[in-house]
Amino acid sequence: MEIPTETQPEPEVEILNKLMKKTLVSVVLAGAAFALYQSFALMPGYQGLNLGLSNYIIESGLKDTGSLNLITAVLYDYRAFDSLGESTVIFGAVSGIVLILSRKMLPVSSKGLSFIVKRTLGIMTPFIALFGLYIMSHGHLTPGGGFQGGVILAAISIIFSIVYGSAFDYRRYSPQTKTALETGGALTFLGLGLAGILMEGAFLQNLGFLTAETGTLISAGSIPYINIGVGFKVGAGLAIIFYSMIQKTFEEDF
Amino acid sequence: MEVLEIILVIFLVFSALMTVRFDEELISIIFLSIFSLILTALYLLHKAADVALAEAVIGAGLNTAIFMSAISQIRHGDSD
Amino acid sequence: MFNNFIFIILFMLGFYALVMKTNLIKNVIGLNIMEAAVFFWVISFSDIGGEVSIHKLGEEVTKFNDPVPQALTLTGIIIGASTAALLLTLIIELNKFSGTIDREKIEGLND
Repeated sequence: MEIPTETQPEPEVEILNKLMKKTLVSVVLAGAAFALYQSFALMPGYQGLNLGLSNYIIESGLKDTGSLNLITAVLYDYRAFDSLGESTVIFGAVSGIVLILSRKMLPVSSKGLSFIVKRTLGIMTPFIALFGLYIMSHGHLTPGGGFQGGVILAAISIIFSIVYGSAFDYRRYSPQTKTALETGGALTFLGLGLAGILMEGAFLQNLGFLTAETGTLISAGSIPYINIGVGFKVGAGLAIIFYSMIQKTFEEDF
Repeated sequence: MEVLEIILVIFLVFSALMTVRFDEELISIIFLSIFSLILTALYLLHKAADVALAEAVIGAGLNTAIFMSAISQIRHGDSD
Repeated sequence: MFNNFIFIILFMLGFYALVMKTNLIKNVIGLNIMEAAVFFWVISFSDIGGEVSIHKLGEEVTKFNDPVPQALTLTGIIIGASTAALLLTLIIELNKFSGTIDREKIEGLND
């Protein structure tokens, strides 16, 4: 006869274990919350405007770069190198996802949604594209910029995949087109950076000779072109991510 | 606008509480989308226009779509 | 003063969902809530009551809000979304391999 090596724990011991675990977790969470609260007591008020960096950007941002939007001036002129790093992070995420998820992919022809939705979105899609391009290119005049406009353009590809079926999306914007757009955007950004070395002396320096008067569309040096490049890169990358995640695999995995 | 900020912050904490509470994942993702929407309104109340636009398109649009497509692939094995 | 409490509550909620729940998708959602709490605190801490940080053509310069934390928050939002997408891809692959998304029931990890 087999004797079982482990007996079941008693019901009272099990309830006591659960209670001890819950008490321990509550003590840890309360301790962490108390530590955070105490660290707030040591902090003075907001001193970012007294240290000189933000004062300098607010006072002479318009004179240096020519863009009315101060956040765009910070992101694409004073700290353009950080935007290059962020684009590289998105590129790394897209590469990782495509590497993991793309087995033998075939375009699935799902039927899409009903006829009313298809017709309504068929009328609305050009306006969404126009709105996305407007926000992307007017980044130095209104709130917006490259990243926000690019994500709006990626939403069009998501709409095609959901409403019309993913075979339509494959025919309309194949993954090769999206990859070409992403590469084009990245090369625009890097090309403007290298042109900054050749013409003005520093990497990603604002090319001042492309400027008309302040407040029009063609102003602020090379900021609109960097915006367009970053917008297409981010938009194409996020569209590739969504397209890879909804594919069916027809081969066996293991 | 002190009163409006207090009401929105109470809704924010309530929706975050509902997000972590349920066991089924679909309900959590819907409450995450509501959380992101209220956060957009709060960013606009603090006069940060670029951040509100980015949170609206990314938090309430792309994040929800990616989470939903991931959920539809895990239980039944097929998607869309 | 008031926003410090809200930041602590939201951060602890996200931390609880990250540590105590065993569903892998709940962990990703908890990570998202923690990041959102930090961004909200940064924006509300640097608000001194000024205007939107965009110059208007032909008007006088009044008090502007600080543009540097807003630029950092913008970068952070996008990187948070990319990280969540990559984590969800790994969860999909893990589900194909072992058939479950509970992190304590996966076979073959205890050796």
